[in-house]
Amino acid sequence: MRAKLFLLVAAAVGAAAGATWLAAHAGADRPTEPGPYLTLLVGVSLIGCGLTSWRARPDNKLGPMMALTGFAWFAGLLSEATSAPLYTVGVAVEYVFVAGFVYIILSFPSGELRGTLDRTLVAVAVGALGLQVLAMLFGSGKGLRCGGDCGHNLIQVVHDNGLALALLGLERVIAAAITLIALVVLSARWLRASAAQRREVTWVLLAGNATLLALAVTVLDDLIGNPLDATPAKVWFCTLALVPIAIVATFVRRRLARGSVAGLVVQLGGPTAPADLRAALARTLGDPSLELAYWFPAEARYVTGDGRPVGVPDADSSRRSTLVERDGTPIAMLLHDPALEHNAGLVQSVCAAAGLALENERLQAELRARLVELGASRGRLVEATDAERRRIERNLHDGTQQRLVSIAMSLGLLESKLAPGQGDAAPIVREARTALALALEELRELTQGIHPTLLVERGLPVALEELCRRAGLPAHLEVDLDVRLPDQVETAAYYFASEAMSNAVKHSHGNEIGVDVSFDGHVLTVEITDDGIGGAAIGGAGPGSGLRGLADRVEALGGRFTVSSPPGRGTRLTAQIPCA
Amino acid sequence: MRVAVGDDAVILREGLARLLQEAGFEVVGVAADADELLELVDRSEPDVAIVDIRMPPTHTDEGLRAAKAIREAHPAVGILVLSQHVHARYAIELLSSGTDGVGYLLKERVADLDELSASVRRVGQGGSVLDPAVVSQLVGRRRQADNPLEHLTDREREVLALMAEGRSNKAIADRLFVSEHTVEKHIKNIFGTLRLTHSPDDHRRVLAVVTYLDSG
Repeated sequence: MRAKLFLLVAAAVGAAAGATWLAAHAGADRPTEPGPYLTLLVGVSLIGCGLTSWRARPDNKLGPMMALTGFAWFAGLLSEATSAPLYTVGVAVEYVFVAGFVYIILSFPSGELRGTLDRTLVAVAVGALGLQVLAMLFGSGKGLRCGGDCGHNLIQVVHDNGLALALLGLERVIAAAITLIALVVLSARWLRASAAQRREVTWVLLAGNATLLALAVTVLDDLIGNPLDATPAKVWFCTLALVPIAIVATFVRRRLARGSVAGLVVQLGGPTAPADLRAALARTLGDPSLELAYWFPAEARYVTGDGRPVGVPDADSSRRSTLVERDGTPIAMLLHDPALEHNAGLVQSVCAAAGLALENERLQAELRARLVELGASRGRLVEATDAERRRIERNLHDGTQQRLVSIAMSLGLLESKLAPGQGDAAPIVREARTALALALEELRELTQGIHPTLLVERGLPVALEELCRRAGLPAHLEVDLDVRLPDQVETAAYYFASEAMSNAVKHSHGNEIGVDVSFDGHVLTVEITDDGIGGAAIGGAGPGSGLRGLADRVEALGGRFTVSSPPGRGTRLTAQIPCA
Repeated sequence: MRVAVGDDAVILREGLARLLQEAGFEVVGVAADADELLELVDRSEPDVAIVDIRMPPTHTDEGLRAAKAIREAHPAVGILVLSQHVHARYAIELLSSGTDGVGYLLKERVADLDELSASVRRVGQGGSVLDPAVVSQLVGRRRQADNPLEHLTDREREVLALMAEGRSNKAIADRLFVSEHTVEKHIKNIFGTLRLTHSPDDHRRVLAVVTYLDSG
């Protein structure tokens, strides 16, 4: 490889020197040529950049193609030579560089032609070269190329200058057409490209399009008798020289991007938030549209950080995916722009660098998803409990209570039918009636505790009013709420107040209770205060141990439960329940 | 006295009808829901309509609504609402629409036929009935130490409760085995202590007393 490269460089230096000499000694009757320096610049740029990128990316055809085009460029200058064989070869290959250039610009950045149109354009460009050779069969040295002292055309068979010029003219028209079509194709490609793709191809495309445009102008200018002089030619010489430089610059930038993976590793060493990780990867990959999805083994699918499941995009999708694995198990999926496919090396190194952070993030995302699910299931449990309580209350009301009442009726009837003579039966009936009344009373207390019907029927303020009426301590109710809230919110607030009040009655040793309810449109706040001994705490074994259940119910609805109970200064229990 | 009965449970409405007939009332018909009851009352203009508070379709407070409707369409028909729960709120709502000929009783009171027929009769005659359980909830409610109710004697409190139940002076006297004159003296004291204006009308004073008890 090294020797081959050395040979190529030597050949390039030779070709450059020869071509420059020839260009410098070109006939004075060719005022349209931009001169030896620009000629040298184009060739050196093509060969130099070609060899550089060939070395860096041996698998990419762009490198050798650029070098080849550069040599063809220099070879074209042989048409300035006086020696007959050199002159003949020079004229024959004079425009080979155009076909090479069309190939380069169309195949960038992969080095492969992408579709029928691309291939056709290149094929036509190559075919047009044949016209040049065909013209040489009829044209004399003078008519074809230069003035007095240039070489003799070795392959001329018939002398028909008119035909030769016509064929040359056709070649130029075809060349102009190809450049214009290529211009349109590339512009269309640019318009369709994603942000990441544009970032990749901008400079190459700009230089390429400028070259194509200037080339077309030059050819057309030639056809109509050169009114623009050497200007268009100078322009395309310059822009053509820029194309290989832009290509190499693109490849170098990819390398630099891979270098920034080191920066990524350092960055990921510190604590990262989920958004930071995505942003860091997007920055390193140069794809702002990058998305991350994590593998949830339990569900066997990829889920985004915010819990949205995503599928692997299929081949004709506008997105591409790269899967990240650790020790053979999937961790995450990067959803990115198709442009990154040309830079698989960078994507792989980023994935390797971010593997640990991604695994970490995956675990956190899974945890978050579980927490969301847990919250939902907690809510469902509370809902199910409430529904069950409602059902039990209803069953007791419609069943047991009614049967007991009906027995009470029968007893009443029986009592009324007892003749005065059956005096010893009356106390027994009365006893039964009293026992039954007690049973009914207990049942009534029980059903109200299970499910407060008044709450459903009249809403929270009325139910709390009833609660205060029955409280074992004087209770003051302040309610600032004039709308009905969702069932589960009202129920939670009611049970909270009920339990908190009975706590105050049982444990506070206070003299009165305050019940404060307010609603700001989003959050319902229920506050139960007493003037007792304080010292209550959630979860403790002390007087506040019943508070844990309260906290559960409030928190199941996404609410907050707070206790303030300094010893000797009363207790304040606050529930804040959001109403969606 | 003619009575209509509305209850969605067959066992209870039939049982109640039988009890009432046994106690000497004429039962003009029974109804299984509020609409049926309204129709029955329209048709037969009873003296008293007895209605279960919880009936189809929502099984919440249909009975109260039916009571209100009957009140508006037939002001002369007395209404006795039966409930399985002690909801002072509902009782007070019922009384606030006019204490003449309304009553709120716990369902299980039907076990005492004498009490039941006395209550039906009182409502039929334009009086009012409030279940003792509701009254005791109102009277027994825990209050601040400086509340005037705390200054009543036990006997006065008993009289107050019986007044709230809708009983007449004579009934209170019978119940407490004292003379009507004594009862009147107690009542004068109570109204004085609570700073209520004394109304000689047995019926009207119920609302005054109940409202007072509820607001304290």
